[in-house]
Amino acid sequence: MLRIRDVTSSYGDIQILRGVSLDVGDGEIVALLGPNGHGKSTLLKAIAGVHPATGGSIELDGEEIRTEPPHRIVERGVAYIPEERFLFPEMTVFENLRLGAYTRRARERFDENLAFVYEIFPRLRERRDQACQSLSGGESRMVAIARGLMSGARLLLVDEPSIGLAPALKKDVYEAIRSINQQAGISVLLVEQEIEYALRLASRAYLLKKGAILFERPVSELDVAHVKEAYF
Amino acid sequence: MRGAGRRLMPLLRPRNLVLASVGALLVAWPYLGADRFVLHVAALTFVWAVVASYWNLTNGFAGITSLGNMGFFAIGAYTSAVLAKELDLTPWATMPVGALATMALVTVLVGLPVLRLRGIYIALLTLAFADALPSVITIFRAWTGGGIGLLGIPELLEDLEKWQAYYFALAFFAVAQAALVLVVRGAPGLAFVALRDSEPFAQALGVDRFKEGLRVFAISAFFTGFAGALYAHLLGQISPAMLGIEQFLMVISMWMLGGAGTLLGPVLGAAIITFGNEYLRVAGSLRLGLLGLAIVITVLFFPGGIMQLVGRARGFLTRPRRGGSDPDTVDGAALPVGSGSETGEGR
Amino acid sequence: MDAFLNSLASGLIVGSLYAIMAMGLTILYGVSHVFNFAHGHVAVVAAYLVWFAAVRLGLALPVGVAAALLVMVVLALATYWGAIRGLLRRSEWGFGTLLFTLGLAILAEYALLELFGPRVKSVPAVLPGSVRLWFGRLALNDLFLITASVVLMVLVGAFLKRTLTGQAMRAVAQSLPGAQVVGIDIDRIYGATFIFAFVMTGLSGVLLGTKTYMTPHIGWEWMIKGFVIVAFGGLGSVPGAIVAAFLLGVVEALVTLYLGAIWIWPAWLVTFIVALWLRPQGILGGRST
Repeated sequence: MLRIRDVTSSYGDIQILRGVSLDVGDGEIVALLGPNGHGKSTLLKAIAGVHPATGGSIELDGEEIRTEPPHRIVERGVAYIPEERFLFPEMTVFENLRLGAYTRRARERFDENLAFVYEIFPRLRERRDQACQSLSGGESRMVAIARGLMSGARLLLVDEPSIGLAPALKKDVYEAIRSINQQAGISVLLVEQEIEYALRLASRAYLLKKGAILFERPVSELDVAHVKEAYF
Repeated sequence: MRGAGRRLMPLLRPRNLVLASVGALLVAWPYLGADRFVLHVAALTFVWAVVASYWNLTNGFAGITSLGNMGFFAIGAYTSAVLAKELDLTPWATMPVGALATMALVTVLVGLPVLRLRGIYIALLTLAFADALPSVITIFRAWTGGGIGLLGIPELLEDLEKWQAYYFALAFFAVAQAALVLVVRGAPGLAFVALRDSEPFAQALGVDRFKEGLRVFAISAFFTGFAGALYAHLLGQISPAMLGIEQFLMVISMWMLGGAGTLLGPVLGAAIITFGNEYLRVAGSLRLGLLGLAIVITVLFFPGGIMQLVGRARGFLTRPRRGGSDPDTVDGAALPVGSGSETGEGR
Repeated sequence: MDAFLNSLASGLIVGSLYAIMAMGLTILYGVSHVFNFAHGHVAVVAAYLVWFAAVRLGLALPVGVAAALLVMVVLALATYWGAIRGLLRRSEWGFGTLLFTLGLAILAEYALLELFGPRVKSVPAVLPGSVRLWFGRLALNDLFLITASVVLMVLVGAFLKRTLTGQAMRAVAQSLPGAQVVGIDIDRIYGATFIFAFVMTGLSGVLLGTKTYMTPHIGWEWMIKGFVIVAFGGLGSVPGAIVAAFLLGVVEALVTLYLGAIWIWPAWLVTFIVALWLRPQGILGGRST
């Protein structure tokens, strides 16, 4: 579904990605691991078009999308759920979800997607008329993921969904990602610091270090200690 | 021998030689047969060059989007003129008083409230300040002459000749430019370069945006107010028209067309606009259209102003020297316009 | 007492017109962070176009208004796609857009001066005549103005809340990256916001033109009043702008009554500084930067 070859990206004079190649298959969960500040988020931003890559190729179902603006990429069925969340603070949960279904294709399937989202996150149904700036950290995270799902995405790019959450909530979020993948068949590219959870969810993992892929393995061949060792 | 040579070398660089010859030419000009009208316009150019340069200090170098500098100018002009006229004092005493009064008033009334704010609020409040002054002038019309203006302001000397006025203005211009170079290359200038590059780092070094901003504001107000006072005593008459939008835009375009954030740009801009304005007086309202067109075109196509074009031309002539502007020149076109980062709030 | 009530009424009417005028400015700033210094001139150009259509050409007022608003749409698109869009991509975009809109304002002033001359003009009243109320006579046109303003405010509220474009505009204002992430085409929304702002501002100019006189230079005065209101109410905040407009309209009327018209500007400035000093984010919140 997603095929990335030799992608480079930089902020100002500092090159972050030095030729990254990676694949995500249909209906697959792929974990992207690696130490902080080595380019994981930058890669997701490059795929989403929010911080365009400077070189290489990003193909979605065989079509080049590297130079497309972010809204076109959303229309193609890629949803990026940033670590920073970027909710609309003065709007209610429902209004945020409605804007999540901004593209025409998403609006046509609005009721269906909304029902699915409420099923995964029942808490959001209770909070639907509350302004997002008054939500807790965990609830905001749920809104961010739910808003991404409302776009009717086929591929979800999730950046650190569990960061700053209490252990119980973390589990909820992982259960949600699993059911998104299993029930709706949505592919997921997951950036995660909690190696243990990531390995439990994903079928394959990449390790990104110093802007390049260090290795790629099925999770069955990996364990936490092994991965941590590679961080240093 | 070699030591002395090395010390002399920087002074002999082409840029400094050009500046020195232009300076000599300016001093010799009245003897080279310039007529009285040209000398008069040249004297005005020096006054406006100072106003534009110090406006550029707050906006182009320090990144404080002040739109109130014509207000500073008017305070200096009116204070000095009213004191000289009402109390029968010599302009030589009232001009410094006018400049100091401007500095005090602006620092307290504008600097203290404005510099706590950010970005567009600074622009709005300073513009509102300058815009309220005509009403203040009208309210105190017993001294200021209200909307008609103040006539018969004592001149710098009795029966002031144009060539004398020219030399006074040139001297003031030279002193103001020297002070400006000291400010830009000295501690305040460095502080603002640091703030622009990285505010957290600058703060770690002990740079205080508020304090540095206030200092730059005070210096700018002093020289702008002094320029206003000199203007009043050179012309012998002033009116609230100096606070009008046309004059405001004219001075803004001087440093903008010349090149914001450069030392030489505002001076070149002042010369072009002042002379252009005087010679186009016959054209009437067409001047307004030309001014608007000049601003729009500069912003869209030459954001670095004339200095950008000069930089390009130099780069063309001296290709091997990477871009043509040596890294230590402040008046190269390479410096970014600081005000952008101030008005802009992380997009 | 009658004089007081009279000037209170006139303050409320002028305030409602200021509110309409400030709305385009505050929404444009809230969404795109462009502060339009040609704002007052957009209003004056629309008012002059209506004057030209109604007085010179003798067309019906609604036809003139429709034609003027069409011109506003074209101007808005030309301004955004022709200039602002490019300027926003520069690092010093804030200052660039400020100067560009200033330059645009003088060009507009020059064009009006050349086309229509410097003499004072006004847009014909929509409803001539007046009614008698307990505190004095009230012109029917004033009644129309305040009704039209309130209707416009309600319509704007509904537009921002109910339509997809309105929601997208609010989304961009609250979080630009959030808007990108959900698939909003930022360029399209910026363009739509420019159209919205120019049309609203044009309408406010036409309404103001029936109430006060106008010259090619009046745009500066309208612009400065607009920005005091917007800064007072909190940049980007619509309710804040409405409250501030009514407040300043009434203050202006009362200052004129008790101190004289010359004190209007100092009064605006003092209110402005006090407001910024107490609440830099505006009376009802909104963007502080």
